[in-house]
Amino acid sequence: MRYLVALVLGLATSGAASAAERTLTVYTYDSFVSEWGPGPGIEAAFEERCGDCDLRFVALDGGVDILQRLRLEGEGTGADLVLGLDMNLMAEARELDLLAPHRVDTAPLALPIDWADDTFLPYDWGHFAFVYDSEQLSEPPGSFRELLEAPDDVKVILQDPRTSVTGQGLLLWIRHVYGDEAPAVWARLNERVLTVTNGWSQAYFSLFMNGEAPLVLSYATSPAYHMAVEETDRYQAAEFEEGHYLQVETAAMLANTEQPELARDFLAFMLTPDFQRHIPLGNVMNPAIDLGDALPEVFERLIQPRSLTFTPEEVRENRRAWIREWLNASVR
Amino acid sequence: MSEVSLPSRWATLSRWPPGLGLAALTAVAGLGLGSLGALLWQARELHPAMLWQEPWLAAVLRFTLWQATLSTLLAVGLAVPVAVALARRPRFPGRALLLRAMELSLVLPTLIGLFGLVAVHGRRGWAAPLWEWLVGAESGYLYGLSGIVLAHVFYNLPLSARLMLQALETAPAAHWRLASQLGLTRAALWRTLEWPRLAPLLPRLAALVFTLCFTSFAIVMTLGGGPRSSTLEVALYQALKFDHDLALAALLALTQLVICLSLWLLALSRGGAPSLVVGSAALPAGGRWHRRDAVGASRLTDAVWLTALAALLLPPLLAVVLAGLTGLPELPRSASLWPAAARSLVMALGAGAGALSLAVALLVGSRWLRTRQHAWSALLMEGGGQLILVIPSLVLGTGLFLLLRPTLGSGWQGYGLVVLVNAFMALPFAMQVVRGALPGLSAPELRLADQFGIRGRARLRWLIWPRLRRPLALALAYAMTLSLGDFSVIALFGSPSAPTLPMLLYQQLGGYRWQGAAATALVLLMLVVLVFMLLGWLTRRPPRYPWTRYAREERHARVS
Repeated sequence: MRYLVALVLGLATSGAASAAERTLTVYTYDSFVSEWGPGPGIEAAFEERCGDCDLRFVALDGGVDILQRLRLEGEGTGADLVLGLDMNLMAEARELDLLAPHRVDTAPLALPIDWADDTFLPYDWGHFAFVYDSEQLSEPPGSFRELLEAPDDVKVILQDPRTSVTGQGLLLWIRHVYGDEAPAVWARLNERVLTVTNGWSQAYFSLFMNGEAPLVLSYATSPAYHMAVEETDRYQAAEFEEGHYLQVETAAMLANTEQPELARDFLAFMLTPDFQRHIPLGNVMNPAIDLGDALPEVFERLIQPRSLTFTPEEVRENRRAWIREWLNASVR
Repeated sequence: MSEVSLPSRWATLSRWPPGLGLAALTAVAGLGLGSLGALLWQARELHPAMLWQEPWLAAVLRFTLWQATLSTLLAVGLAVPVAVALARRPRFPGRALLLRAMELSLVLPTLIGLFGLVAVHGRRGWAAPLWEWLVGAESGYLYGLSGIVLAHVFYNLPLSARLMLQALETAPAAHWRLASQLGLTRAALWRTLEWPRLAPLLPRLAALVFTLCFTSFAIVMTLGGGPRSSTLEVALYQALKFDHDLALAALLALTQLVICLSLWLLALSRGGAPSLVVGSAALPAGGRWHRRDAVGASRLTDAVWLTALAALLLPPLLAVVLAGLTGLPELPRSASLWPAAARSLVMALGAGAGALSLAVALLVGSRWLRTRQHAWSALLMEGGGQLILVIPSLVLGTGLFLLLRPTLGSGWQGYGLVVLVNAFMALPFAMQVVRGALPGLSAPELRLADQFGIRGRARLRWLIWPRLRRPLALALAYAMTLSLGDFSVIALFGSPSAPTLPMLLYQQLGGYRWQGAAATALVLLMLVVLVFMLLGWLTRRPPRYPWTRYAREERHARVS
């Protein structure tokens, strides 16, 4: 009983931060702050660096939810910084007029593309890819063409572009490779599709890991976790000759934060090895700077495909139309 | 003196039911309609024409109605023979286990349930070789309409059968004694004892299951095989999250609200009359008497039904348990598991207590209205309890957020809100369970109680409470475990880094910790079992009565 009371009190007071410290509130997504995600290590490193500050993560469901929360809260937002908006959400986030320039030297950045944005600062990146189970599929497709022409029993698990980031990634990927031919490709791809789940977790955990299909839409970095932690080479990413769509995850500071200095300190800290070394196995993504020897060995065994991107503005303008295009091609 | 004051005190007491009911209704309607209203108010312009101008929306609506109808018919229809068989066989090895499993399946978080279903029924599942041997083709039945219906039956048949069993067991011992002495046949038993118990339950149960299937999201998408099989909530999700189109979101939510609520009103008006015969619910009487229909061919059919139930329920649960066992070595390494479990339990207790109080208030209020011939107000009050179920949680969350904007989202407020919304979401289930037992005293019993001056607290304590404690415990267990496994609400408001169990599960999956996630799922499952067992055990023994007709009846039942 006493434990219960203590727990309830603990819940009640956990919201109140001590007044003496400078508090930096960061909106981010769930898996970033989890016990084994990069969050805890980064929090400790940053708080040690600044001395008297308190880094407070608020975990939302995903990048889209961070944007949604900013929209709803507007000027009165409780965030000093947002971390987890990917390139495809940048245009919409910029439109809200709530963000401020980062003024951080982007020279250390080591991305597959050039980065010139003065508001959004990347902290990791990865390619969307089809991960295959080598015990079911000895020769993975080497291109979209090969995937479309694969034998009937080679099924693939996708995610819905309306509810999942990876699903939207495939939408942009196919659109980038095939342009106006995309609807025809979707129609053909549907013959390969086992099912389209609402989220990545369902697809990867409930279906793919249960052996339901040899291919699943995921990230090119996914095999790194299997190789490094589970010590198995069974799951690998298939490299497509057309290139792979790129996801870059970014952070940005709010314009009317009460801690502009601290926020900029954090953004600068993002591009240091102390932050970045938590990314590869914590977030299972590629670090945004060159980590040198600190990069886990397994990352060198990942595929290194050519990168495809649309600008954030192109994505914002066309997303709805492309989703409808996909929908109509798939429903037929 | 006391004879004068007592009736007047009872009169003041009897003003409580409508007041309580009204307060609960205001809270539910305020929360549901308030959040929808906030969305509408923010959206400003509505274009209802969008609903029929988007061809795929019409297709989605048709499909949703079709799969929900099919799922409901199968889940509720098949639950009838299962419940009857369970009532006829009060003692067989594994019955307790089967009942536990039935309680589990409803509250299983979808992600875990899907894992179990895929492990058993998937293309590489346990049942696949059997299917290939029987049909000669590769097993692909889990994807598409058949898979959706299978999953919905897996989730809802046990709930339906469990509630039907509860209704069957409330038949008074005297009736069973009579039936036994008369040697009633199968058909006669069904006509005189079983059907009158089930009939008032069916419309509401069907409406509940239909609503659950209509609003089902992850199951329909994961097993649907593509956007052909979709639900309104996907469109809503897109409108709200990616497009920030509040108007379309509100419109879709309204569509869902209108369809489901009209169904509820229809169901409530059909199944309105509570059963005339009221027995003492404390005595699970059915099986104590020799039943003529319990021998012969029914042995075989009952065995078939119960085996089918076990085959539906147990393998997926077993798959989850087995996966969890392989993850057990990971448990000590997960520092946040036990705090998360404690946090979840505290929140579940709050939500369960809230749901129960609301359910009782609404039911008492609507009963009060019905006995005073305000049939429609009574309907409205009972229907109001179902409101939260038909408002998509995404709309609820966003609307609440808009309403409470400046103060929301930090620390304990977030948790408080989650408890509150979970209480409202568990309300329909709690009402369903308590309702069957609430009719309370029959007219002769009421007269008798009045004549003896058993009123107010005494009536509550000695006549009403003994009948209610078991159903209340079951309702509390359902409400608690529903909130224990809930992820949708907690994901809405965001939280500081202290997760609840289902959140922890998703975090583990997001971080590729399959083994740890499986172990977390197992712990969640164990907690659910524990809650049901504990609450069942606490109310297992009938309370000690003073020397009343109850005690006599009970003694008779024991002697024979």
